[in-house]
Amino acid sequence: MRRLLPLLLIGVFSLVGKVSSQEMAVPTQKPVLIELLRIQHEIPGLGYFLLLEDPLDSTLVQNSGFKWTRYDSGWVSGIKEDFTLLGAVDSDTVSSRLNFTILSEPVADSVAVQYISQLVSRGDIDLPLAQDGPQEDLVSYALKSPYAPVYGNRFSFTADLKIFIVTGIILTFFVFSISMFIVMLVVKSRKSKKEALEKEYDQMVVDPLTNLLFEKDLDEIRKMTEADFESFFPKHLLQDLVYREVLIDRIIGLNKKMKGEFKEKLKTLYNRLGLAKVSVGKIKLSQWHIVAEGLVEINEMDLFEYLPEVKNLTNSSNFQVRSLAVSAMLNLSEKSDLSFLRDQTYPLSQWQQMKYLRIIKFVSQQRSLKIEMLFESKNKSIRIFGYKLVRILGRIDLLEMLSSMAPNLEDEEKAELLKTYLELGAHMEVDFVNSCLESKNPRLLMQAVKAAKVLGDESTLEILLGKVAEEREFTTKLQIMRSIHELDKSRFEQFISEYGNSDSDLLRVRDHILDPRLANV
Amino acid sequence: MYSFLFFLILEVVGWIFLALSFGVILVYMTMMILSSLELRDYLRKNQFTDYGDIITSPIAPGVSMLAPAFNEGQTIVQNVKSLLSLHYGKFEVVIINDGSKDDTLEKLIESFELEKTSFAYNSDIETKPVRGVYKSRNMSYRRLVVIDKENGGKADALNTGINVASMELLACIDVDCILSSDSISRMVRPFMEETNRKVIAVGGVIGIANNCDVQDGTVTRYRVPESILGKFQVVEYFRAFLMGRMAWSRINALMLISGAFGFFRADIVRKVGGYFPKTVGEDMELVVRMRRYMHEQGIPFKIGFVPDLLCWTEVPESEEILSRQRNRWMRGTIETLQLHKQINLNPKFGAVGMLTFPYWTVLEKNGPILEVLGLVYTLVLLLVGDFSALYFFALLVMMYLLSLLVSSFSVLYEQLAFNYYKDKKDLKKLIWTILSEPFVIHPKVVWWGIKGHWDFVKGKGGWGSMIRQGFKSAEEKKALETESNTQ
Repeated sequence: MRRLLPLLLIGVFSLVGKVSSQEMAVPTQKPVLIELLRIQHEIPGLGYFLLLEDPLDSTLVQNSGFKWTRYDSGWVSGIKEDFTLLGAVDSDTVSSRLNFTILSEPVADSVAVQYISQLVSRGDIDLPLAQDGPQEDLVSYALKSPYAPVYGNRFSFTADLKIFIVTGIILTFFVFSISMFIVMLVVKSRKSKKEALEKEYDQMVVDPLTNLLFEKDLDEIRKMTEADFESFFPKHLLQDLVYREVLIDRIIGLNKKMKGEFKEKLKTLYNRLGLAKVSVGKIKLSQWHIVAEGLVEINEMDLFEYLPEVKNLTNSSNFQVRSLAVSAMLNLSEKSDLSFLRDQTYPLSQWQQMKYLRIIKFVSQQRSLKIEMLFESKNKSIRIFGYKLVRILGRIDLLEMLSSMAPNLEDEEKAELLKTYLELGAHMEVDFVNSCLESKNPRLLMQAVKAAKVLGDESTLEILLGKVAEEREFTTKLQIMRSIHELDKSRFEQFISEYGNSDSDLLRVRDHILDPRLANV
Repeated sequence: MYSFLFFLILEVVGWIFLALSFGVILVYMTMMILSSLELRDYLRKNQFTDYGDIITSPIAPGVSMLAPAFNEGQTIVQNVKSLLSLHYGKFEVVIINDGSKDDTLEKLIESFELEKTSFAYNSDIETKPVRGVYKSRNMSYRRLVVIDKENGGKADALNTGINVASMELLACIDVDCILSSDSISRMVRPFMEETNRKVIAVGGVIGIANNCDVQDGTVTRYRVPESILGKFQVVEYFRAFLMGRMAWSRINALMLISGAFGFFRADIVRKVGGYFPKTVGEDMELVVRMRRYMHEQGIPFKIGFVPDLLCWTEVPESEEILSRQRNRWMRGTIETLQLHKQINLNPKFGAVGMLTFPYWTVLEKNGPILEVLGLVYTLVLLLVGDFSALYFFALLVMMYLLSLLVSSFSVLYEQLAFNYYKDKKDLKKLIWTILSEPFVIHPKVVWWGIKGHWDFVKGKGGWGSMIRQGFKSAEEKKALETESNTQ
């Protein structure tokens, strides 16, 4: 509102002159003015005289109130101040012959109007409304006196503009809403049509697929010609996008459920029907969701021959594409190591880690994966993922390597490493745990305290006892006391009896730790 | 001169109303576009998402489900059983008995074989005293923690739960909500997906359970409620969730996560001092304070939104209860906007400062007042004879059409994306509701909003002077508590 105020003020001042001049309401049209003056009878200082051409106007000449004098080309009346003398003579007839005077001096019509306006604005006179009403019928009177409201045309421009804007908005609004509605209806109708078509095609592909899978062996399928396939899957239908998609979905669905030779048969079919090329074509497009579809298809159908194309997408800027490409690489590549993952520049999200972990867990049972490669990555999130893999896959053989790297790692990595040491019971890393207990980073400290519970020794206990006396944060104090309890129960009790009276928290902490129902809380 | 000023004011006010009308249209049109883009992207992403791994993955974060209960004796056991049966690997259910006067605690103790533990409760966030923390001796209920405390209201109960919760993520829910079995997996996904920014909270859609069939804690058949108020709320919830929140989520400017179903990162909630119990709009206030904290600390962050219908609740169908709810919502909105007024039109707070906050201030908070002023303005125009019927009806038609358009689109979004209400009769009912809402329900909603304003002015609820003064920083709430503790 404060910002709008200057704009409002500008608007206000620009309108002032216009509005104040409209308060007088003195008609500028001469016949209307004469009519008004006739009703007014007299206005101080304002007079008039008439000029007539030959021959004399009979009505005016008959009016005895005027004193006519001859001049060059006609007659001139004397100056009069009483406008009722004009009698019932038509104002239009009079207006061209009437000339105004102010203090007996002839003046222009506009000067006379201005003079009357000034008298009105000063309050010297009041212009009355017609008391007796028009003498003629209302229609002809209205025709002579066009409607002029008191506040008429006050803001004529703005009033027009407002209605113009509203009309404009309504029109834009209509166009916009109608087009949005049309788009939505088209989308819905297309969707319904596609669903119906998919249903129809789905029924069409089930029988040929079943026949091929259960009635022909793998060699027979391999030897089939294009003409043979044509009888199962007509070529014109294979060119239909929806049909192709339905067929792809069906084959992938079956591939997920089947094993052994059936899988091979499905893959052969997928290749022979040109669907593999369709999948590869998809990953070359720019729309991410289509690329992702292609990647899923390549992954599901084990199309390892297209791995070079997939590898190009492992560092894509799109999260979904990148994730699916790495998943496909992990699944399909029997020879490739984890270098494509090591070289990723984008941070690895927890979601991606979870997906990759599932695949790596499965693949690592079949072949050796060089997880240690991930420790060399320039990407911190990849390195951390590497430490997690060591922990989850139980790779104790890599602990030595981690141990040599540990002192130079960032705090976040150290915390992850501590979790790994704790999980794998790496008691030889007690020095590292002790060094982390001195950290100022609360997350690292907390992790070290948890690790100390299992991996700590006498020296760790001393550090923890020193720390708990200084610790103010309740949760950390609880964790430290829990670790002390695990390391040496008698020292724990001794500490409580020594400091329990001065620190009431300690007694509560003791009860908490000793309550078996709260072992994990 | 006075008449000039009067007419000038009329003219200026007319222009302001015109600008407002234009602004409303522009805002809603933009929201429609943004929400449709967001919904499209969400549906596309969902095509490639498999939620199977998350249930057992060691990488998935743990979730503490916090559910305050006050006099819920009749339904508490069934509700807790339903919560314990959710499909997720690492989670705990924390029920906070907020000083119930009925047998809520007794029923819990009896049904879940609970025993009072020696839990060392620590008020990191200040709360009313805790009388006891209970755990079950039966391993089947190992995930359940019950806290018994003195009554202090919903925010206070949630703060108690936050103090006890042990997982990375907090899910704050209403105990009587019906949750879909995969609700945790779906809500956790945005927290796990983001790479460059920290996801601090994720909001979900609330569905209306009135008149629906519920079996084994899941809605099995959707039906539109019978009452006009119930139907109106179906349309309103679609508008709010599928359009409003999706649109704000698109530009990472979401300012409200429903108190009935919201997920938060526990460390950030603790850093800002938890819920503010002195406001009736504690859900919105927490989200705004968390946003503010992240901005003030300069940490890149995001608030996510999941448009899948994962949570259902019964909405009030009586006018009296609904009016009280709307009154409370309005006061909550005013209080939050007042507490964080420093955000308004402040570019430091990004899209929230420049878009969402002004939107809430002008349209959500002041909307009812502006509508009444518009009515008064029309009456004044009629009295002074400056009323233009053409102009008035043009504006009226314009706003009515806008209302129809926005509501229809919300329902259409739902039909295209999720299609929960499959019966054509239900669709017809919703269309009639959309057509009649501006005349039948909207005036009442405006009136309830005005009453909310009036109650706020009178100082009903809330923490009067503090709220008017506002927080100078997101962490100021913690300082306030420390002061009150030491006094």
